[in-house]
Amino acid sequence: MKRALRTRAIRADKRAERRSPPMTLPKPPDPEVLAELGRLRARLPQLTGAVAASVDGLVLAEDAPGIEPEGVAALTAAALGVSLRLTDATGQGGFRELLVRGEDGYVATYAAGASAVLTLLAEPRINVGRLHLEARRAGARIGELMDRTNAPPQEQTTNPNPTPN
Amino acid sequence: MANTEAALKEAMTSIEGTVGVALVDYTSGMALGTAGGSKELDLTVAAAGNTDVVRAKVRTMELLGLNEDIEDILITLDSQYHLIRLLKGRGNNGLFLYLALDKGRANLAMARHQLKKIENELEV
Repeated sequence: MKRALRTRAIRADKRAERRSPPMTLPKPPDPEVLAELGRLRARLPQLTGAVAASVDGLVLAEDAPGIEPEGVAALTAAALGVSLRLTDATGQGGFRELLVRGEDGYVATYAAGASAVLTLLAEPRINVGRLHLEARRAGARIGELMDRTNAPPQEQTTNPNPTPN
Repeated sequence: MANTEAALKEAMTSIEGTVGVALVDYTSGMALGTAGGSKELDLTVAAAGNTDVVRAKVRTMELLGLNEDIEDILITLDSQYHLIRLLKGRGNNGLFLYLALDKGRANLAMARHQLKKIENELEV
């Protein structure tokens, strides 16, 4: 009886494995996302790096010379996890952005659609008002690009993080 | 002495032709407070953009070796005046008042005078 249950459980596991999608390999950077990062860096010269990553910590595109983008993307995913719980626990709704100010500069993360985030590194002298304006716009644009590529055909995915402006 | 909100409200009501006013921190580019504004005049965008204007002027004066303070900056458009007044004293460094005026209704000399008075009474 016990053995029968165990084999049944194993079979169920195997079925679940078959049903779950295969592990996605890191894709080559999306040229459109990369172009968006380039435009953002041109508009904000005081940016020192820009990384677009999936919410689970994979790099989608990066323009961050001298910085390990994989590490930034992984840490962003970790910070995002805490941020989501924090906004959720305090009833502030979905995640929009996260700004960290260090002694020598800023790290800012912006929601980019449902599946991606945009993490920016900036000098301490940056105009934070403009950083927000430009990064929210770029985040929305990258979100559109990602949601379009990820959307299953004939099904409109709704964006849980609508960005203002 | 007036707080930020009261000072902005006073600028909005007492200065003839005002369409929007903001108190901006130009070390960050963020507005500490705004009053007025409209769809056409987003004061958050104005705060961030005019921060670059102020920073550029401060830097230019440094390069020119002019050891002076900026009192105000006037920008004249086709239909508007934009007045930027840098706050002085009492630890108010790094702030400016931004005032957008309708050119047809405003009296520039009076607006400058009144903005100066509001600045003097402002306690951040």
